[in-house]
Amino acid sequence: MEPIIKVEDLTHIYPTGQVVAVKDISLEINPGEIVGVIGQNGSGKTTLVKHFIGLLKPTSGKVIVNGKDTAPLRVQQIAANVGYVYQNPNHQLFARTVREELAFGPRNLDLPEDEVNARVEQAVEFFHLEELLELHPYRISFPLRKLVGMASIYTMRPAVFILDEPTTGQDNITTQTVYRLIKKLRDEGSTVLCVAHDMILLAEVVDRMLVLRDGDLIMDATPREVFSNYEIMSSTHLTPPQITTLSLRLREKYDAFDNVALSIDEMVSEVQKFSNK
Amino acid sequence: MQGVVIPISMVPGDSIIHRINPLPKLAWAFGVLVISFATRNPLILSTLFVVGVILILVAQVGNAYLKVAMILFPISLTLIVLQSIAPAFPKPWTPIVSVGPFTIFQEGIYSGISMLLRIFAMTTWAMLMIMTSHPSDIFTSLQKIGMPYVLNFILTMTLQLLPILQNEFAVVLNAQKSRAMKGSGFGAILPSMVPVFVGAIERVQQLSISLESRAFGSSGHKTSYRRVRMTFWDILLIVLGIVFTAGMTYWIIVDKSLDWSETMVFHPAFAIGLVVFATLGFLAFVVIALRNVLQA
Ligand SMILES: Nc1ncnc2c1ncn2[C@@H]1O[C@H](COP(=O)(O)OP(=O)(O)OP(=O)(O)O)[C@@H](O)[C@H]1O
Ligand SMILES: [Mg+2]
Repeated sequence: MEPIIKVEDLTHIYPTGQVVAVKDISLEINPGEIVGVIGQNGSGKTTLVKHFIGLLKPTSGKVIVNGKDTAPLRVQQIAANVGYVYQNPNHQLFARTVREELAFGPRNLDLPEDEVNARVEQAVEFFHLEELLELHPYRISFPLRKLVGMASIYTMRPAVFILDEPTTGQDNITTQTVYRLIKKLRDEGSTVLCVAHDMILLAEVVDRMLVLRDGDLIMDATPREVFSNYEIMSSTHLTPPQITTLSLRLREKYDAFDNVALSIDEMVSEVQKFSNK
Repeated sequence: MQGVVIPISMVPGDSIIHRINPLPKLAWAFGVLVISFATRNPLILSTLFVVGVILILVAQVGNAYLKVAMILFPISLTLIVLQSIAPAFPKPWTPIVSVGPFTIFQEGIYSGISMLLRIFAMTTWAMLMIMTSHPSDIFTSLQKIGMPYVLNFILTMTLQLLPILQNEFAVVLNAQKSRAMKGSGFGAILPSMVPVFVGAIERVQQLSISLESRAFGSSGHKTSYRRVRMTFWDILLIVLGIVFTAGMTYWIIVDKSLDWSETMVFHPAFAIGLVVFATLGFLAFVVIALRNVLQA
């Protein structure tokens, strides 16, 4: 299978700072993969994913999206295939009403007006935005603004959906919406990249995690492998979900636990297997 | 993502000029402004300009200055074109040469050249002051000589609004591009102006809330984190600046022979060449600027 995103020796240095925000990273992402990107604040997560839609161009190295080198492409051209939900919704929203905001993307894709409206309706239903449709995006709360940001990309149905910290600072209900979104995108066969500090979310929804530290890609593996790697976790000051930590401890103590549990359900089945023995 | 940033702000450095208190620099910049408006004499204006450039070089802010000058020069060229066919002089005007419906006037060329020099003399000195002084030092100094704090603050904020707007514009444009904004050219740029200004107003509202929550309106003496010292030399420089400005202005008013508008006669070929050069220069600038904006 052709990778949908291919990164070759990517380095990015911002023109203002002398910081190397991303160092010599190479990786491939296949269509349909659900990938988490983790790392401390300032480790280069946003910088890395902004390359996939061309908002940033490599200082050196190459980024190939859908078989095309992004260097000569404009953001507008890539945006038909790649949707990026900004970390800060204030940088994403610009229209006068939420409705216009949701319709802006699909209109640019030259869809017929009834298709645009249908997509807006679907997004409104999915993200529960009924009450907000006629409001100015600046007049609604930050967490809701973030949902509107996601919805505005969702209406475009991009092949690659990038979420930059979708759950940071969100209450339980909006967080649940993010879960539903990622699961729905997975079912529809989209490729998803999710930058997050929320390990519980990632443990549940992603197949693969990229771990960044000071601009280096230090690990690229399944969540189970990443969470089990004590050195990686402590050197990046990340902590696995509590249930995973518990299962790791129990495995150390009684080696009868076969697998590392990522969720409560998995833990329950491990305990059942253990007590059956 | 990199927009066209006009660097009208301090360029950090440690030159003699950086170390001078902002007040004498302000006094001299203001003096040059007064003199520039008092005279049209090309020699005086170009001398002020050249001295200003030398000081810019001494302060080692030449690069930043050049960026400003490269934008200012083509724009000021329009003055030459406009003035040459419609001089800001009392009639009657002396025609030099006619090209089609346009007549180029002696007074026009004189006036165009002197306005260009005037703009450059003034801005060079103003840039020298701005690029070598920390903004808050300028305002602390102004406050010391009695400028009201609120007025001062409004000035500072206005100066900061330009970069805020530039930044806001880049943010909105990027957001729209990330949603496959179609087309390029003004059709695409114009709609993004609306959210830029709405966004800027939002920001100003937030600013006023955060100001009030930090007791901006309260009365009493405001202190400043940065201290500005005034040495004997600074005071001497201010006095010299005032004397120089007063002296020059007096000379300009008294000595009528400084008005060269009659005596400095331009050859028709020179006049046409200058006007053509100015037109082409300005058009080239517009084309380049548009291309930069549209590619952004
Ligand atoms: N526009 C910019 N100009 C200069 N340096 C920047 C810019 N944006 C980010 N950086 C720097 O690049 C490095 C990586 O930043 P980046 O935003 O990619 O990190 P991040 O992993 O997304 O962090 P966070 O978790 O805070 O979102 C940081 O050191 C940051 O200070
Ligand atoms: Mg980030």
